[in-house]
Amino acid sequence: MNRNYYILTAIMLILAIGTVFIHERKYTSELPASELLWDILQPSRFVTTDQVAKRIIEKDPSLLLIDVRSASEYNKFSLPNAVNVPFDSIETATGQQYFGNPGTKVVLFGNDGILSNRVWILLRRLDLKNNYVMRGGLNEWIETIIQPKMPKQTDPETSFEQYNFRRAARLYFTGAKVVTGNMKKVKVVFKKRKRAAVAAGGC
Amino acid sequence: MENSIKKNNEKYINPYLGGVLLGIVMLISIFISGRELGISGSVRNTVVETAKVISPKAAENSTYYKKFLKKDTSPMSNWLDYEVLGVFLGGLLSGILFKRIKKPFIEHGKSITAKRRLIYALIGGILFGFGTRLGRGCTSGAALSGASTFSYGGVVVMFVLFGSAFAVAYFFRKLWV
Amino acid sequence: MGPLVLNGFISSNWNLLIAVFIGMAFGFLLESSGFSSSRNIAGVFYGYNFVVIRVFFTAVIVAMVGLLYMGYFGWVNLSQIFILPTFLPSMITGAVIMGVGMIIGGFCPGTSFTAITIGKIDALVFAIGLYIGIFFFAEGYPFLEKFYLSANLGHVTLADVTGISLGWWALIFTVFALASFWITASIEKKVRKRIKDYKF
Repeated sequence: MNRNYYILTAIMLILAIGTVFIHERKYTSELPASELLWDILQPSRFVTTDQVAKRIIEKDPSLLLIDVRSASEYNKFSLPNAVNVPFDSIETATGQQYFGNPGTKVVLFGNDGILSNRVWILLRRLDLKNNYVMRGGLNEWIETIIQPKMPKQTDPETSFEQYNFRRAARLYFTGAKVVTGNMKKVKVVFKKRKRAAVAAGGC
Repeated sequence: MENSIKKNNEKYINPYLGGVLLGIVMLISIFISGRELGISGSVRNTVVETAKVISPKAAENSTYYKKFLKKDTSPMSNWLDYEVLGVFLGGLLSGILFKRIKKPFIEHGKSITAKRRLIYALIGGILFGFGTRLGRGCTSGAALSGASTFSYGGVVVMFVLFGSAFAVAYFFRKLWV
Repeated sequence: MGPLVLNGFISSNWNLLIAVFIGMAFGFLLESSGFSSSRNIAGVFYGYNFVVIRVFFTAVIVAMVGLLYMGYFGWVNLSQIFILPTFLPSMITGAVIMGVGMIIGGFCPGTSFTAITIGKIDALVFAIGLYIGIFFFAEGYPFLEKFYLSANLGHVTLADVTGISLGWWALIFTVFALASFWITASIEKKVRKRIKDYKF
């Protein structure tokens, strides 16, 4: 009789020790490598600073700007209504809530477009779509929108249109709206992504 | 199986066996519906329903009842009610099987009267019911189910509940021994 | 694969029927283990009947270990199961009150229901008390709401709070439970004069 209890105790102990060694599964789906490579080659993920400026001025509700730099850089200067999701917290639950929301177009940006491009690839690997990279990042933003260069007389008509647009945009961003370090208090309201259904419960 | 209460020799199953089977029942419950057992939620649902019937206007205005009034389409709050129905049926089945169904009687410790036992049962029930809402569940829902799914709150409730019972046991020993 | 209802394998209506069966299993096990008697339940607090600790802890460790294996084999998606949310101040208070109520009343809700089915009037009175207690809570809710909702940590697990993986927690609880079984068994042997061990 007692021997049976010894056996049961041993079994239970062995099973419990086993649980220490088993690794928890990850529940995010991943894109196959071949598809990912193909998507990386597509230029369609890039948006220009002009396009982003236009959407901001038009107050496009589907636009979500995400600054992938560190929090201190974000606090110093960022785009209006941009949310800060630092590169290293993209894969956390709080970071992930910004992605995969239907109807939302996410534009990632950093200082020069390199970091944001890496983040795009990471998100694409997690099978997330509707993410874009602002080509050139904030450096490009400063050069084109904040300090646009006047085109030469020999440049085509479109260059002048673009220049005029940029001058107006500059006024909007530096005159009408002063972009300072106060951006950290911005609260972006949008529908968070519904994860795979979680059981309701409670007693 | 042994457990002698005075002259009665009741038949009970081996408690370890009961525990293993109970754990398996909980695993099955999670496998199928993603949640584990619970009881006090069903009691709460009954209170809400009663309030709705007795005075619908007051129920709508009450901050607490309001939360549960629109829930007729939610399957999960009903899940508890169906489960509790099953608890009654299962208990009945076991009582029949082990021949424990008796004419209604009041079970009490030898040091107190039956009447006192009833009073204490009522007080204990009121306290427990109140505590159940604060604790987000009872021993089955919060302590048992919560702890076995590794919930921090569940584990805390489990230890604090039993701990507090142990702490005050001495003062109420007359009720039981 | 699991939870089956959430991933579309079983409809919600079937879920309700299954709830009845799960409840039946629960009630049956409670009653047949002896939880339908308030004296059996109170026994663990006075050292004359350890059935509560044996059934309860065994169930907890079986479920913990089983859950982790089920998650590992992919039978259940652990991120989809319900984890009880944590509100420390109100839950600790509630647990203290429940502990006192358990000693005074000798039951908990589930066990009182099974005891009602075998004819215990004190269980019935206890159950009535439950409804009254919840009623008091509902009436007093406007004053309690702030306290009730304070310090919401969310649906956190032990691993989330301590950083120690769930496997270690399962092991810790298993060791703790098994130790308590052996210790209480030896206490029982010494305290009881006549002891008939459970037939295996």
